[in-house]
Amino acid sequence: MREPLSPKRLEGSGRWLLKIFTGLLIVVFLGIHFIVNHLVAPGGLLTYADVVAYFQNPIIVVMEISFLVLVVVHSFLGLRSILLDLDPSPMVLRVVNFVLVIIGTVAVIYGAWLALTIASRG
Amino acid sequence: MSNQPQSANWPRWFDPRSRSLGTFGFILNRVTALGLTLYLLMHLIALGQLAKGADAYDGFIALVKNPLFKLGELLVIAAGVIHGLNGIRIALNSFGVGVRYQKSTFIVLMAVAVLVIAFFAFKMFSEG
Repeated sequence: MREPLSPKRLEGSGRWLLKIFTGLLIVVFLGIHFIVNHLVAPGGLLTYADVVAYFQNPIIVVMEISFLVLVVVHSFLGLRSILLDLDPSPMVLRVVNFVLVIIGTVAVIYGAWLALTIASRG
Repeated sequence: MSNQPQSANWPRWFDPRSRSLGTFGFILNRVTALGLTLYLLMHLIALGQLAKGADAYDGFIALVKNPLFKLGELLVIAAGVIHGLNGIRIALNSFGVGVRYQKSTFIVLMAVAVLVIAFFAFKMFSEG
């Protein structure tokens, strides 16, 4: 455990840096998420009314959507990084990239729609 | 490149012998990453109940308050805490910070992770 970790051959320094920085931001957002959902909420989980009330604050809506974007980018870059360990051919890697971008984009659009829908119900 | 994983030799990935602590840190990071990614997708799908209204969502919340779901939830928290703390070490080491102390940093951070997980477990299961 002496050598500094470095970007992998196919990962590229841009994606690698993005993974590191999104990861560090997620630690902050996830801390808030865990505290709100597991420590502050009575009984450990928010009810529907609690969630709607929580989403009435526009800062929370922006924070939750930003959190979703960070998590999706970080986890899908991480998943790609794990798949690179399987030495995919350039063709397979192109398919992997395409699938991850599509699923990631759908997840973000769906999550943002859900957050805005809940916020509108106050 | 001798330490690069080889897909042709994948059964070796599951052999824990002759591994350094750093390798266990790496494995822990990968396994928690896969678990958390799977959970992220399940979480988004489950939260779709919110769009269906109060009855659907509160019914779902009542379901996940049973001990089996709570155990699953604790596993997710454990994976998040381990991945997050180990990730801080990786981020720092990536920029050359604390590389000489990464073994002791790993041990300390994992000890902190055990305490945080124990705290959440106590909190979650003592609430009934």
